[in-house]
Amino acid sequence: MSELFLQQIINGLSIGSVYALMAVGYSLVYSIMNFSNFAHGGVIMIGAYIGYFSLTFLKVPFFIAFVLSAFGSGILAVVMEKIVYRPLRKRNAPFLYFIISAMGASIFLENVVIASPIGPTFRSYPTVFSSEPIMLGSVALGRIDLLMFVISAISLMVLVYIIEKTKIGLSIRATSYSIKGSTLMGVNVDKVIFIIFVLGGLLAGLAGMLFGMRYTVYPQIGNITTKSFIAAVFGGLGSLPGAVIGSVLLGLIETMVSGYLSSQYRDLIAFALLILVLVVKPTGLMGKTTEDKA
Amino acid sequence: MKKNVLLIVSVLLIFAMMLTACGGSGTPKASGDTIKIGWIGSLTGDQAVWGTCESNTVKMLIEEVNAKGGLLGKQVEGIYYDTKGDAAEAVNAVKRLITQDDVVAIIGPNASGQAISISAVLEQYKVPDIATVATNPKVTVGDDGKVKPYNFRVCFIDPYQGAVAAGYACDKLGLKNAAILYDVASDYSQGFTEFFEKTFIEKGGKIVAKEGFKEGDVDFRPQLSKIKDAKPDLILMPYYYKEVALSANQARDLGINATLIGGDGWPSEQLMEMAAKSIEGSYVVNHLDFNDPEVKPLQEAYRAKYNLPMELNGYMAHDAFKLLEAAIIDASSADPEKITESLTKVTVEGVTGTIKLSEEDHNPVGKQAAIVKIENADYIFQEKYGLQ
Repeated sequence: MSELFLQQIINGLSIGSVYALMAVGYSLVYSIMNFSNFAHGGVIMIGAYIGYFSLTFLKVPFFIAFVLSAFGSGILAVVMEKIVYRPLRKRNAPFLYFIISAMGASIFLENVVIASPIGPTFRSYPTVFSSEPIMLGSVALGRIDLLMFVISAISLMVLVYIIEKTKIGLSIRATSYSIKGSTLMGVNVDKVIFIIFVLGGLLAGLAGMLFGMRYTVYPQIGNITTKSFIAAVFGGLGSLPGAVIGSVLLGLIETMVSGYLSSQYRDLIAFALLILVLVVKPTGLMGKTTEDKA
Repeated sequence: MKKNVLLIVSVLLIFAMMLTACGGSGTPKASGDTIKIGWIGSLTGDQAVWGTCESNTVKMLIEEVNAKGGLLGKQVEGIYYDTKGDAAEAVNAVKRLITQDDVVAIIGPNASGQAISISAVLEQYKVPDIATVATNPKVTVGDDGKVKPYNFRVCFIDPYQGAVAAGYACDKLGLKNAAILYDVASDYSQGFTEFFEKTFIEKGGKIVAKEGFKEGDVDFRPQLSKIKDAKPDLILMPYYYKEVALSANQARDLGINATLIGGDGWPSEQLMEMAAKSIEGSYVVNHLDFNDPEVKPLQEAYRAKYNLPMELNGYMAHDAFKLLEAAIIDASSADPEKITESLTKVTVEGVTGTIKLSEEDHNPVGKQAAIVKIENADYIFQEKYGLQ
């Protein structure tokens, strides 16, 4: 019984850490631009494909594939921002337009992959690690899970360092309080937004590649990010610690419901809890502002 | 435009053939010199490979029958129409076969969607149809639970695989504690599971865990951890290869050593690529195995004639034709209604197993399935196995 419990905790943490890497991307953009960037899922998917083709076609070492995937996604995220959001921003379009454009971009990316020679079939990463789990008694700890957990933790710590300790971080934080105010103080908002998309894109690439290694690569990966978006809302959109805590909690709740009640109730209970949290605390667990954000 | 011309030409040709064949006797149906059998299926589109194989097989068999003197002293003539994989086209093709070509029975199509849509036409004109690989239960039984009088098939239905898997696991492998992981959103997976449970419990086995997931899920470890805790000897995985690959790998990651069993959703190149190690020693229930010695003669005859590999559909078309041949001989008449009656009376040794259609649901009774074991990343045929 206690071994099952321990195993489920590990399962939950592993699922939660994937959600966390994805959720942070949503929160970063939201904190500055006040809208939910649903195209993030598409960027993650492209990141997963870049990692896959780097390993299978270019046959680069594993570490290089990670770098290529992160940078490829980072560039894509910036390009998306330039093409999709900047024109809207220049025209001061309502936030709703941003969300609709983001959804459109996400659908666009998915269908580009389906229509391209890559096609709709799923692909599996070549085996990079031995799939032999590390056994702690009868509790299994997967090597990829461990890697995922470590990479998630390191990249999130680096992100927190950038935001809390660097000058760019300072301008990001300032902009997140007030775009107008920080512009008046001489902060280059375009640059801040550029940085935000670069950071979000890099993380998306890492998340995509980790996801692809753990599971598979297919054009609809973006759909899984719905869960991480929910996790970000759960923890409080716009708050980075909130995104991480929300993700880990969602992962744990899902596994516990599957493990102790029934897997059919997993989404039902997870989403009921989400609604409950939002009713009691509309800004999510760690959210600070109460202003109306889309 | 080109299509229309082709169609007119073919209709004219068929008329011309009918006229010469009937010698002006005036009543073509069943009283001419030939017995006409229709075939429908995809000759173009995604499923063209399968349809072409079916029609080739039927052509080959008709030639064989005619060389031996035909049926009831008459030559047999096949008429083949393309459904383009479309249900509406299938309905048109059936109408044309019956009203213009006066066929006594129809073989095909292979897809459930088309087989379901043609029922109304068959009932209107009272001509029987034998579907080949249409596995959906609704092909022969209507929504009201009543059997469709003119729809038959030679393949077993999807859920039956569950019963075969349960029987084989219990009786042949001696596994008594089963866990089930299934897709709650899929009819195929649910039907499979339901039949498995029923048979497995009847045989004295125990279901120690039953967990669900939804299509699109990629992480099965919470469910599998729970399954591991129940200590099963076998895990049933009645779903398609993508989820099979993921869940099998995750099960092994968690240290589960139970035997895995699945159905016709498994066999694929990708499954081997992704999970060869995890599914080693697993068993798969399928309609037929290409390495079964009993299917070799047909396989070789087909290859010799067409220089093409034989698909599953060809074997099914073969058995459908043999069943129809037996029914015509049993009825000693080429009257569609009499043939319909005989279809459930005759028993035929087909290449895919013994075929005897049930009167209640027009499905083959206790048909054998091929049991395949995965060894050294290859599908190794074990034996044919059926439940009575």
